[in-house]
Amino acid sequence: MISIRKAAVIGSGVMGAGIAAQFANAGVPVDLFDVVPDAASDRDVIAKDAIERLLKTDPAPLMHRRNAELITPGNIEDHLNRLSGCDWIVEAVIENLDVKQGLYRKIAKLRHEQAVVSSNTSTIPLASLVKGMDSDFRSHFLISHFFNPPRYMRLLEIVTGPDTRSDIASAVRDFADRSLGKTVIDCKDTPGFIANRLGTYWLQCAVITAMDQGIDIETADATIGRPFGIPKSGVFGLLDMVGLDLMPHVLSSMKGALPASDPFHAIHREPQLIERMIADGYTGRKGKGGFYRLDQSAGKKIKQAMDLASGAYHDANRKPRFASLKRARKGNLRALMDHPDAAGRYAWAVMARTLSYAAWLIPEVADSPAVVDEAMRLGYNWKYGPFELIDKLGPAWFADKLRREGSPVPAFLEQVGDATFYRVEGGMLHQFTLSGGYTPVQRPDSVLLLKDIRLKAEPIATNRSASLWDIGDGVACLEFHSKMNSLNPLSLFMVNTTVDIVQRDFKALVIYNEGDHFSIGANIGLLLIPAFLRSWFLVEPLLAMGQKAYKRLKFGSFPVVGAPSGMALGGGCEILLHADAVQAHAETYSGLVETGVGLVPAWGGCKEMLLRWSGNAKLQNGPMPAVIKVFETIAMATVAKSAEEARDHLFLREHDGITMNRDRLLADAKQRALELVTDYQPPLPEKLRLPGPTARVAMELAVAGYRKQGKITAHDVTVARALAEVLSGGEADITDTVSEDDILTLERKAFMKLVRTKNTIARIKHTLKTGKPLRN
Amino acid sequence: MKPVLIAAFVRSPFTPTNRGALSHMRADDLAAQVVRGLIGKTGIEPGEIEDLIVGCAFPEAEQGLNVARMIGVLADLPMSVAGVTVNRFCGSSMQAIHMAAGAIQMNAGEAFICAGVESMTRVPIMGFNPMPNPALFDRYPQAYVSMGETAENVAVKYELSRSEQDSFAEHSHQKAVAAQIAGQLADEIIPIVTATGTVDQDGCIRPETTLEKLAELKPAFDEDGTVTAGTSSPLTDGASAVLVCTQEYADKAGLEPLAVIKGIATHGCQPELMGLGPTGATQKALSRAGIGTQDLDVIELNEAFAAQALANIRDLGLNTEKINLDGGAIAIGHPLGATGARITGKAAQLLRRHGGRYGLATQCIGGGQGIATVLEAIR
Repeated sequence: MISIRKAAVIGSGVMGAGIAAQFANAGVPVDLFDVVPDAASDRDVIAKDAIERLLKTDPAPLMHRRNAELITPGNIEDHLNRLSGCDWIVEAVIENLDVKQGLYRKIAKLRHEQAVVSSNTSTIPLASLVKGMDSDFRSHFLISHFFNPPRYMRLLEIVTGPDTRSDIASAVRDFADRSLGKTVIDCKDTPGFIANRLGTYWLQCAVITAMDQGIDIETADATIGRPFGIPKSGVFGLLDMVGLDLMPHVLSSMKGALPASDPFHAIHREPQLIERMIADGYTGRKGKGGFYRLDQSAGKKIKQAMDLASGAYHDANRKPRFASLKRARKGNLRALMDHPDAAGRYAWAVMARTLSYAAWLIPEVADSPAVVDEAMRLGYNWKYGPFELIDKLGPAWFADKLRREGSPVPAFLEQVGDATFYRVEGGMLHQFTLSGGYTPVQRPDSVLLLKDIRLKAEPIATNRSASLWDIGDGVACLEFHSKMNSLNPLSLFMVNTTVDIVQRDFKALVIYNEGDHFSIGANIGLLLIPAFLRSWFLVEPLLAMGQKAYKRLKFGSFPVVGAPSGMALGGGCEILLHADAVQAHAETYSGLVETGVGLVPAWGGCKEMLLRWSGNAKLQNGPMPAVIKVFETIAMATVAKSAEEARDHLFLREHDGITMNRDRLLADAKQRALELVTDYQPPLPEKLRLPGPTARVAMELAVAGYRKQGKITAHDVTVARALAEVLSGGEADITDTVSEDDILTLERKAFMKLVRTKNTIARIKHTLKTGKPLRN
Repeated sequence: MKPVLIAAFVRSPFTPTNRGALSHMRADDLAAQVVRGLIGKTGIEPGEIEDLIVGCAFPEAEQGLNVARMIGVLADLPMSVAGVTVNRFCGSSMQAIHMAAGAIQMNAGEAFICAGVESMTRVPIMGFNPMPNPALFDRYPQAYVSMGETAENVAVKYELSRSEQDSFAEHSHQKAVAAQIAGQLADEIIPIVTATGTVDQDGCIRPETTLEKLAELKPAFDEDGTVTAGTSSPLTDGASAVLVCTQEYADKAGLEPLAVIKGIATHGCQPELMGLGPTGATQKALSRAGIGTQDLDVIELNEAFAAQALANIRDLGLNTEKINLDGGAIAIGHPLGATGARITGKAAQLLRRHGGRYGLATQCIGGGQGIATVLEAIR
């Protein structure tokens, strides 16, 4: 099988550059080509500018700035000969068949005989793309449809043609899965493939229905967003993000490509309002504004929403109030869609048609519901796919309501009858199929997921915040499952239980969960009760409990592998610092952010960071550089915005691993744990030499300078001084050694000093209320 | 008293830290090339040098291990030539000249290379291990005051406006640009061979600096203050060297000396007002030379900050027309240990170029000090 060691992307627009960035993120060198602009002095300027843009875009398309060095700019007139060294050539030029085919003819002459060629087209059928190309080219060609932004959207739709060689398709699937981190979905060669076929219908339906029913956009988004597990940007917010000017292209290509029988035609129209908005430059976030805009005329940012009837902006109504929405908050979707108020009627009108359309699309775009659901979850960030939503509503109830209002009931929905599209059989998830029976939902090879394990087994131990699972081969998995996986006494209790059980019954432990975030840290809300009661004596035991639990993980007789994805902050980062190894999802955002809420890390975070940096050969010698480095990292609440960046801060070490595909994280972490089992020796407690008060003074001097420069607040100074006290080793002298426990004592002391200050309590309250730090 | 001569002056290009052309070069390698350059330019016999005295403000890491001795070896000086590293922070290499002058008076040598070096890229200001004395910090925190803060203190005490400072900085760049264009700097610069090519141009001078651009900068050290990055000397990599010798040696070696040292002085002041150090030191040095400020034809007043330079000008009553004719440290750069030799050498060079009689080189020093050297032209 061909291995992808070098790639090329032709077309350096948003998608092309983003795809090139993801190749670079995978460590694969990539050529990025574009045309030569007229009269250009630098013939590579377009691709070069694209790389510059990658470095400036937020959220960052690159997982580390230095990955940009893996992208080599070029132009299609002078440099296409470089294609001969590329194993995968991705075409991402404009959606124009002649342009694409002209390029393919050039590529065909230059590519090496094993090289894969793919198009990122979202609208042109594969059959048209390869028409007239020779069989060799056709056998190495497929469509690889990435979603924007390519780093963050996990879906990759692949379309192969009748001539595409299966080993070529397998090579792409495997590379896209393991190296690019994508979930690959094989699609049929139908317009818009899966996600955009349904997504476009859904967006269009929501827009014209809002206009027809006189629903304001805030209500529309509040209705179609959160209640259905759809991002709160809903419909109009999403259109603003992707750009309104994209819609007419997509709609007209769908209109041209879909047969007259397709329900799409019934909702297809291009509202004058949107035409006018595009013409006037109101194309969304990239333009002057869109359906929403931020008005800064009053000196502060005020979110405004557009009135769909008049086109005028007004201050956005942040919380539309409807009885139907209130009922939906408790998870009752049926109550929302059955409700007679405006939001209820809107929810029904949009989602009934969308979900019907999804069912109608079987088998045209896919043969099973799981594929469609996965595409919508990963391509549109829906929490639940359309068939999962229908199951929530009850397929029979849904079909009956359609029938009663005289709407057609799709055959696949009729077929499922009183049953559901999904059910669990023999500890495995099964899906309803066209044959009328159920087949297991297949995972790619060697994917291990807790959600599958959960279907066939009970946890070994569990409480409201955490559970312990047997994931096979003598490895246990500690799962946090509180809200945002914030850590509380129950979580810590489970850590202790875990250590007891694992050292008795297992060989190794993986700490992992399938929440959006590994853990956002300690539940700081718990501090407000002692603060209110002024019962500070209640706080220190919490600190000691966390320190003890994490210490038991570190020094236990079995290896521990932390496997984070998403945020691993504060106490969530500290638990990783105590693991023998970390196998991190590439999209891990880690950091010790306690200073943001006016505290210092006190579950061993300061201690572990001192240990890590003290032994780091990259720093200058002497007692100060490690202390200063840790001080800067923690005082500034530094967050690494990828697993790769986490290495820079030593949240991850050299021997820690990174997994690109979220679904493979648990399997990789388990494998890592098993590797550590052989001859495992727990670490021995270390001693540090810390400079003591002189270091504290040096840090205080730096802090005073920042304060004077206006870069930090008065309370930042208080917090930084407390942190300096810990990191300097308190009253230590450079000739003495300081134990790990000594530093833990300093952590607790500093934390207790800070938690009693009214400014820290104000920060905690503010962060709990707004999710943002308070600069007091 | 024996006449002590400044016989020659050279330096490396001065380039900004990190992004500058010398950032990848160790300080010892850099200084060694400058020392070789001085020997080449003067044609002296290296074995006749008594001592290589090198000023360095943060003599640690790559600048550590008595870097003067290492520079001597790197520069292929005979092993018989000794080497000593001097630290008086920014005044280090002017102190090197004073030490040579003192030694000559004691008949302890005839010729000295007095050099200075600082790679502020590779050894940061404050060094890698700043370890202040906690008890002293409690008792007298000013001992550890930051340099930027001292500039703000001086600006407040002397009621120096932002625009006055900006204007001073702009003028410094204008003079340096003019000198650069006229080729006045080329003669003193030893081209430095680096791994990526030869560097022969200063890198800190900004021809594009304008009052408008300076006015846009935010205060660098105090959010309510007036001192900006534009009115402070930039962090710089560089090295400099002068040849200090007796008249007899100059005659014997066929040198054309630039100036004779007439008076030297150091002076302590409040650490939090360290920028005022030049005033006390200059008054002493002038008095020892038996002249007054009105007698000066050329003045090199180091521009650590525009604020402190302006304050000294006011206190000493200096004629601004005679100050830093080729631009000062705000434009040229201030590689701490290298500056003293540069401004002393520059004052001597300017006396020769402009034909005046007396010259002054003076600078402020962190911790609260000043240092000054008075020169007289050789007719």
